[in-house]
Amino acid sequence: MKRALVILGGLLLLAPACFVAALAIGSVNLSADALWAVFSGTAQPMHYELVYHLRLPRAASAFATGGMLAMAGVLMQVLLRNPLADPYILGISGGAAVATLVSMLLGLGGLWLTGNAFIGALCSMLLVFGLAHGQGSWTATRLLLCGVVIAAGWGALISFILAISSNQQVFGMLFWLMGDLSYSANPYPGLLVMTAGLLLTLPLGRQLNLLAHGELMASSLGVSVQRLRVQLYLLASLLTAAAVTMAGTIGFIGLVIPHLIRLMGIHDHRLLLPAATLLGGSLLLLADTLARTVIAPQQLPVGVITALLGIPLFLLLMQRSMARTA
Amino acid sequence: MTTLLELRGLSVDIGGKTVCRGLDLSIGAGQCWGILGVNGVGKTTLLHTLAGLKPAQCGEILVNGKHRGDYAPRALAQQCGILFQDYLDTFPCTVLEAALIGRHPYLRHWQWESAQDMELARQALNRVGLEQLEQRDITTLSGGERRRLAIATLLTQAPQILLLDEPANHLDLHYQVSLLDQLMQDCRQQNKAMVMVLHDVNLAARFCDHALLLYGEGEYRAGASADLLNAGELSALYRHPMTQHRTPAGCFFLPG
Repeated sequence: MKRALVILGGLLLLAPACFVAALAIGSVNLSADALWAVFSGTAQPMHYELVYHLRLPRAASAFATGGMLAMAGVLMQVLLRNPLADPYILGISGGAAVATLVSMLLGLGGLWLTGNAFIGALCSMLLVFGLAHGQGSWTATRLLLCGVVIAAGWGALISFILAISSNQQVFGMLFWLMGDLSYSANPYPGLLVMTAGLLLTLPLGRQLNLLAHGELMASSLGVSVQRLRVQLYLLASLLTAAAVTMAGTIGFIGLVIPHLIRLMGIHDHRLLLPAATLLGGSLLLLADTLARTVIAPQQLPVGVITALLGIPLFLLLMQRSMARTA
Repeated sequence: MTTLLELRGLSVDIGGKTVCRGLDLSIGAGQCWGILGVNGVGKTTLLHTLAGLKPAQCGEILVNGKHRGDYAPRALAQQCGILFQDYLDTFPCTVLEAALIGRHPYLRHWQWESAQDMELARQALNRVGLEQLEQRDITTLSGGERRRLAIATLLTQAPQILLLDEPANHLDLHYQVSLLDQLMQDCRQQNKAMVMVLHDVNLAARFCDHALLLYGEGEYRAGASADLLNAGELSALYRHPMTQHRTPAGCFFLPG
């Protein structure tokens, strides 16, 4: 418990540190003094513009997206009782991707893209829910199978759209598919969904601890499993839909962040959820900062960086935890 | 003697097969019931139905004189707890954390486990001999240790009615006898009731004062062990000749 609180405290410090780095680093590097001047209102207008209108909104979007993905990952893994589950496994991102790609194909832009992505994600979520629900009760296996099949269907549609699009369009589409934060100028919806999601999932924490031990176990200890599952599915889906709408499909965060936190020794979901949200947000923020600076002025898809950062971190922690239990 | 668990006309089916039909049973405080029958006859299904994890086809289940449906889920979990046949752990957590989930029925929505809850979980781990392992990850436990942890979680839950599905599974001889002994003493001293599915007739003869024999096709016999646990009945139940041997230490059964 004490150890868990120390880790949570560390993550609380990590998040603002990542924000400072994201605001300072870029095409124009700001020194600590220059950054301080911006916050105290004495900076030159260009710096002010740079921080408040370009870097801060993007940084906040990145943090919110990473936080939502990590939270959705925790919920999906417990819901499906499968450590390999990630927020995209049930086809929500596929639905969003197809809707977005069709919009791009039709030459729509701006708000149309985000709006349609969200609608696509919601449609996919309801489709999978309806199919898995069928008549009567649904099991984790049935939900997983329905989701995976629908996701495969979306995958085929995505390939089809890519095949019939012009070369010029394909580039933008691929960038969206790999995850890209450069379009998300308005961070407020994401931050709002992330905060609301956290506030709604935290009260479920103790029930999640029980559900992680299996549905029968949870049920025998007084958890209304059927209701909890519907809640988890809706929450995880909406968080994923919001994240995909903001930044496309950024891989790795939702799958690996929950495991990273568990490997650090936090198993209680009342602590695991906020810790995963903080770490997911921080890691994506850091990755996005690198993505826009490593080969500047060109930008890399942020998904590439999340994987390159996350894989060694994950392997290191796994190694250490195996050494500890051996 | 108060009746803790009462079944009235209970009929249970699984996959088109009848487990029991019109089962009337009254399980009193301090009693220990053994459910015996061949593989696939529906012993676990019946136990899950008693625990409220599966609906019955028809009939009523009364817990402490009140209809089971009238209990809120957590209030029911304070009355009735179950030990499952198997445990499959997907996510890591410590032995102490796993034992602590037994306190869930007693905690309010926002309440965290108190020092007292921790103490109860530690006492339970102590009783099953896992006190040294409380910080171990449950995914690294052996089969027998995992089994003892599940019993510790049930002890932490401290229900009035204990439903045990093959409690001796994975346990070595020492723990089979000492843990069942402890559970039985609890049952008698604290006026609890136990219902356990057993494969070992000799354990049933040793620990159960009552028996429910399931023959398949809905047929059953229920009553005192003294009347039901004999070579004739058991030979018919298992469709295999059994012999009974009396020794100074008690009587035991051998398959012929």
